[in-house]
Amino acid sequence: MRTKARLLAAATVAAALAAPTAAHAHLVDTRLGDFYGGALHPLTELDQLLPWVALAALAAFQGARRARWVIVAFPLALLAGGAAALLLPAPPFGPILGIGLVAATGLALAAAARLPLPVLIGLSTVMGLLHGLQNGQGLPASTDRLLFLAGATAAGYAVMTLATGGALAFLRGVGGWRPIALRATGSWVAAVGIMVLGLQFAAPATAG
Amino acid sequence: MTVPSKPSLPLAALLSLIPLAPALAHTGSGVAVGLQSGLLHPITGPDHLVAMVAVGLWGAQLGAPAIWVLPITFPLVMAIGGLIGLAGVPLPLVEPVVALSGLALGLLIALHVRPPLWVAAVVVGVFAIFHGYAHGRELPGAADPTAYAVGFVVATGLLHLVGILIGVMVAWPAGARLVRACGAAIGCVGLYFLLASVGVLS
Repeated sequence: MRTKARLLAAATVAAALAAPTAAHAHLVDTRLGDFYGGALHPLTELDQLLPWVALAALAAFQGARRARWVIVAFPLALLAGGAAALLLPAPPFGPILGIGLVAATGLALAAAARLPLPVLIGLSTVMGLLHGLQNGQGLPASTDRLLFLAGATAAGYAVMTLATGGALAFLRGVGGWRPIALRATGSWVAAVGIMVLGLQFAAPATAG
Repeated sequence: MTVPSKPSLPLAALLSLIPLAPALAHTGSGVAVGLQSGLLHPITGPDHLVAMVAVGLWGAQLGAPAIWVLPITFPLVMAIGGLIGLAGVPLPLVEPVVALSGLALGLLIALHVRPPLWVAAVVVGVFAIFHGYAHGRELPGAADPTAYAVGFVVATGLLHLVGILIGVMVAWPAGARLVRACGAAIGCVGLYFLLASVGVLS
C-alpha cells in the first residue's frame, strides 16, 4: 500500500513537471528524422490528405476488385513524382491542378460515380505524380531526400490502403445510410475544393 | 518522508494536469489556426447555427429522399455562394437573409409544411448561397484558406447531422411534436436576428 502511495506521489510530481509546458502541434521541427519527416509532410497538408481520403472512398464505391488498383497505382505514382522532383522544378499549374483534383474527386464521390477502370487508375496516377512532385520540392540541403520520399510514399500507401479498406468495410455494413454518409463527405470535400479553387483564380497571391 | 493521505494524491495529480501556462498549440501552424477559425465560424454565430440545424431537422421531417438530398446538396450550393463572395460580387442583405433562413425554416418545421422536393431544394439552396457568401468572404483572410474551408464545411455538415439526429424523433408522435417545437424555437431565434439585422432591435 505504501509503495502504491509513493508511486502516486512520483506520478504527481511527474505530471506537475510535464503538464504546464506549452504544446506545439506542428510536427515539422520535432527531429523525428527524414523518413518520418517525409511521412508526416503530406499528412499535415490538407490539400493532399483530403483528396487521398476522397479517392479512397471513391475507389470503395467501385468495389474491392477495382479498388485494389488504386492501392497499387497511387503509391507508385507518388514515388515516381517524388523521384521526378529531384530533376524537375514544381510545375506552375501545380496548385490549381491540386485543388482541381480535390473538387473533382469530391464531386465524383458525392455523385457516387461509377468510373471506368482506366479513369480510376488515371486519376490515382495524376494525383500521385503531382503530390509526389510537390512533396519533393523545397527540401533543405541537409535532408536525406531518399529517406524523405520513402517516408512520404509509405504514408501514401498506408493512408490509401487503410482508408480504402475502411471505406469498403463501412459500405458492407448494414444500413442504407452508409453510402449516403460517404457521399455527404464527398460533397464536403467538393465544396472545399470548389471554394479554394475559386480563391486560386480570385487571388492567386493569397492562395499560392 | 511523509506520504500525503490517499485521496489527496489523485486530486493533486488531477489538478497538476491543469496547464499553468497557456497551451499554444497553434504556434507557427496556419493549418491549425485556419481549421479552428473555420470550425468556429458557423458555431459562434447563433443565426447560422440554428439555420443549419434547421436544414437537418427539416430534411428528417420530410423523410427520404429529402433527408439525404438536402445535406448532400447544401455544401455544394454553399460553395457557389462562397465563390460569389470570393469574386467580390456584391450580394445585398446577406445578414438579414441569413437570419430570415432561420425564421423561414423554423416556421416550415413548426407548421409541418411538406412541399415537393424541388421546392424544398430551391428554398434551402437560396439560403445556402447566402450562408456560403457570408463564410466565403472570410476565406482570403484566413491563416490557411483550405483549412478554414474544411473547418466551416465540416462544422456546417455536423450541424446538419445534429438536426437529422434530433429529427429522427419524428418516428414517435411525441417526438414529432418536439421537432415542431424545435422549429418554433428556431423561428424565434431567426426572428430575433432578423429584427436585429434591420435595426429594429439593438
